[in-house]
Amino acid sequence: MKNVGKREPSVIPGFGITLGFTTFFLSAIVLLPLSALVLKTAGLDWSRFVEVIASPRAMASYRLSFGASMVAASVNMVFGFALAWTLVRYEFPGRKLVDAIIDMPFALPTAVSGIALATIFSVNGWIGQYLEPRGIFVAYTPLGITVALTLIGMPFVVRTVQPALQEVQRDLEDAAETLGAGRFYVFRRIIVPTVLPALLTGFTLAFARAVGEYGSVIFIAGNKYMKTEITPLLIIFRLEEYDYAGAAALGFVMLAISFVMLLAINLLQVWGRKRMMVSR
Amino acid sequence: MSIALDQVTKRYQDQPVVNDVSIEVGEGEFFVLLGPSGSGKSTLLRAVAGLTGIDHGRISLHGRDVTHVRARDRGVGLVFQNYALFRHMTVADNIEFALRVRRMKAADRRARRQELLKLVALEGMDQRLPGQLSGGQQQRVAVARALAHKPQVLLLDEPFGALDAKIREELRRTIRAVQRELGITTALVTHDQEEAFALADTIGVMNHGRLLEVGNPNDLYAQPATRFVATFLGAANLLLARQGANGIRFGATPVNAEAAEPVHAGREHEVVAVLRPEEVEIAGAREQLTSNYIARAAVEEIVFTGALERLRVRLLDEPSAAQLLGSSGEGDARLEITRTQHERRSLPLAQGAHIAIGARRLHVLPTPLSSFLACGATEADAAELAHEPLLESLSTRMKTRVGLRAIARASEDADKAPLPFSGVAAIAAGDNAAATVEWLLRHGAAEVLVLPRNAPSPTRVFIHWTDEVARRATLAVAASLLRHVSAEAVYLGIVPEGRPGAARPAPMRALLDARSEAQQAHGLEMRTELAIGETVTELTRNLSAASAQMLVLGITDVTQAGSAYRSLLAAQPGWPVLIVYRPAESRAAPEIAA
Repeated sequence: MKNVGKREPSVIPGFGITLGFTTFFLSAIVLLPLSALVLKTAGLDWSRFVEVIASPRAMASYRLSFGASMVAASVNMVFGFALAWTLVRYEFPGRKLVDAIIDMPFALPTAVSGIALATIFSVNGWIGQYLEPRGIFVAYTPLGITVALTLIGMPFVVRTVQPALQEVQRDLEDAAETLGAGRFYVFRRIIVPTVLPALLTGFTLAFARAVGEYGSVIFIAGNKYMKTEITPLLIIFRLEEYDYAGAAALGFVMLAISFVMLLAINLLQVWGRKRMMVSR
Repeated sequence: MSIALDQVTKRYQDQPVVNDVSIEVGEGEFFVLLGPSGSGKSTLLRAVAGLTGIDHGRISLHGRDVTHVRARDRGVGLVFQNYALFRHMTVADNIEFALRVRRMKAADRRARRQELLKLVALEGMDQRLPGQLSGGQQQRVAVARALAHKPQVLLLDEPFGALDAKIREELRRTIRAVQRELGITTALVTHDQEEAFALADTIGVMNHGRLLEVGNPNDLYAQPATRFVATFLGAANLLLARQGANGIRFGATPVNAEAAEPVHAGREHEVVAVLRPEEVEIAGAREQLTSNYIARAAVEEIVFTGALERLRVRLLDEPSAAQLLGSSGEGDARLEITRTQHERRSLPLAQGAHIAIGARRLHVLPTPLSSFLACGATEADAAELAHEPLLESLSTRMKTRVGLRAIARASEDADKAPLPFSGVAAIAAGDNAAATVEWLLRHGAAEVLVLPRNAPSPTRVFIHWTDEVARRATLAVAASLLRHVSAEAVYLGIVPEGRPGAARPAPMRALLDARSEAQQAHGLEMRTELAIGETVTELTRNLSAASAQMLVLGITDVTQAGSAYRSLLAAQPGWPVLIVYRPAESRAAPEIAA
């Protein structure tokens, strides 16, 4: 460890104080509860642990939870980008309003949005009644869960991509155009690579949020055995049975998978950023 | 012609940012477009690149009309002020971008890349990312990238703006060398006159969206035609002098200015003279001067700037001495002087020292509008007129002064010659205006501006003359005026009604002649319109068609102003009318052209 604490001085006093505070804060708010989780899990013997986390029901819930979250985050990456693009690049009446609406999912209690979605997409709902004859069922299916998770994650993508898009200088596009590139080529080779780090961050945030989401999902999921049970729901079931160790074990698995996935995405970003060498 | 712009106009929200600009750049020429920020020069460059559409005119590159061709098909290379490099790509990928778009084979791409890197002296930097390079190196990459697809034209938009002085000079040299080596037609936009001098074969100076002058750097510096170019290209002292048959004089002091233009109409008139700071000679006394004496002066400020010493002196003994433009009043006339170290050593000066000033070289601007003279029945009336918004904005933009004169023409003896009129006489519009104009013209004024109250700055200026004799002078005055207002110029030709059809070609030809003369002699782009009917009726109809219009009217007969055009000079509805009077006998005399 060289140069520790030898960074340029800043407004915030002392490296020692700031590091101490950071450590304390992280420990008290993040690490302590997590280690409690691990400790609780450790109370379980190995065979019981495996039995809990590898039961077919649990396996189905992992698939659903992570699968739906992945799909939702991916959908958000595409449509969130489009939304951010529209907001950054165009001036239209009501732009400010649309910009404000983006943040609504942040503010809404998740249970409310879950109930709202379930109502709209149920067989007799506003949208559901038109989808039903076509054989598309949203409410009480994995598709519904994905819809809920998409709603929840959308602001994360828009809000991270927006500033990055604002930074893409018009000159870059102009330069590419004078060099002979068509619109799609410019989009693919210039704009997307430039905002990719932000896009990945947005994806990560949306994904992380979706994995942990509970409130909105349980209302639209219908919670059918082995079909639409998400992992957080199983944890609640365990808790209701006073099986704290079992709940902790499931939590631990979620934590582990999430950590691995987030770490992977982060490493991907670091690699990407190194290629960009942001030093304007 | 490599780059040919023909009457290019670009408007933003109805305001012309590029106003009727025509430029021709020859094969292999290095053309520098110089102007202050907001003069429309960058917009013009973007229009050439195809990144900005134009509202009017034509753009051709190497004889091919590209007005409606997309940027990517124009075959130009563009370099931006902030480099605009693709930061996620290596230097190699950046340079090969245009080649990749064109699906060139990898081996050919590599060969071309090596060639370009060698050209801009960046060999071995292929795999670096833009973020790992210095600003100067990044701009070199940008130049190489812009040249990769072998464009016919290289465009550079303030390419040195973001660099510090040392790097700037080095890169400037590189770009000049690359341009010479490839022989590529190049257009560069800058606000830095030093840069323009260092690079250009030809400089075009823009201001307020108009191209004012085009020429080689030497000529533009030594013989500018407009006061903007005189003051923007290097520093300049503008002095008001009088030019007569015997040459130039400042007050009572005659000066043998070499660049004196022929006198128009044989009458003495006011001119604007350019005196460069380095052309001023300083001596302890008038007798010691080797050049033409101008005035006595007191040293007010001395600034040491390394190679040169910069002086600011106040002219003494006004008003017999030279009058400086831009000075607000008497005793406020200050002159900028620069001296070399050698000159400084031979006559060391301290603040407050009294010296004699001489001019080694004077250049008389060919502009016919030197200054304004607000005229009213009393001094107070004249002062009120001087504060008319249009007159104030014109004099500010022209960096000239507005004098005051009380004229009591009724009581004055018609035979007694009044003080000579200098510059453009300005009077208030009204019932008596026509008679006053006539009186002024009879007593030596050559141009009279008739101003209605609170006239707005014109957006369209109509130009008309009653006789071809007045054409040159009217065009010169109109062109001079239009350099300082961003308005559209329209020449209105009027053919009397009932003329047989066979006689039509003559006015049509006059129309075309007028247009080409305006363009060639004054760089003024004007539209031409032909009206059929009675002159005053047609003028009134056109002036009434919209708000904020103005008329420049050339006449050859003093009585015309007083009678025929009386209604145009009334206070209601009221348009600013600039009357240009040239008597018919001046037909043979050489006329000032510009």
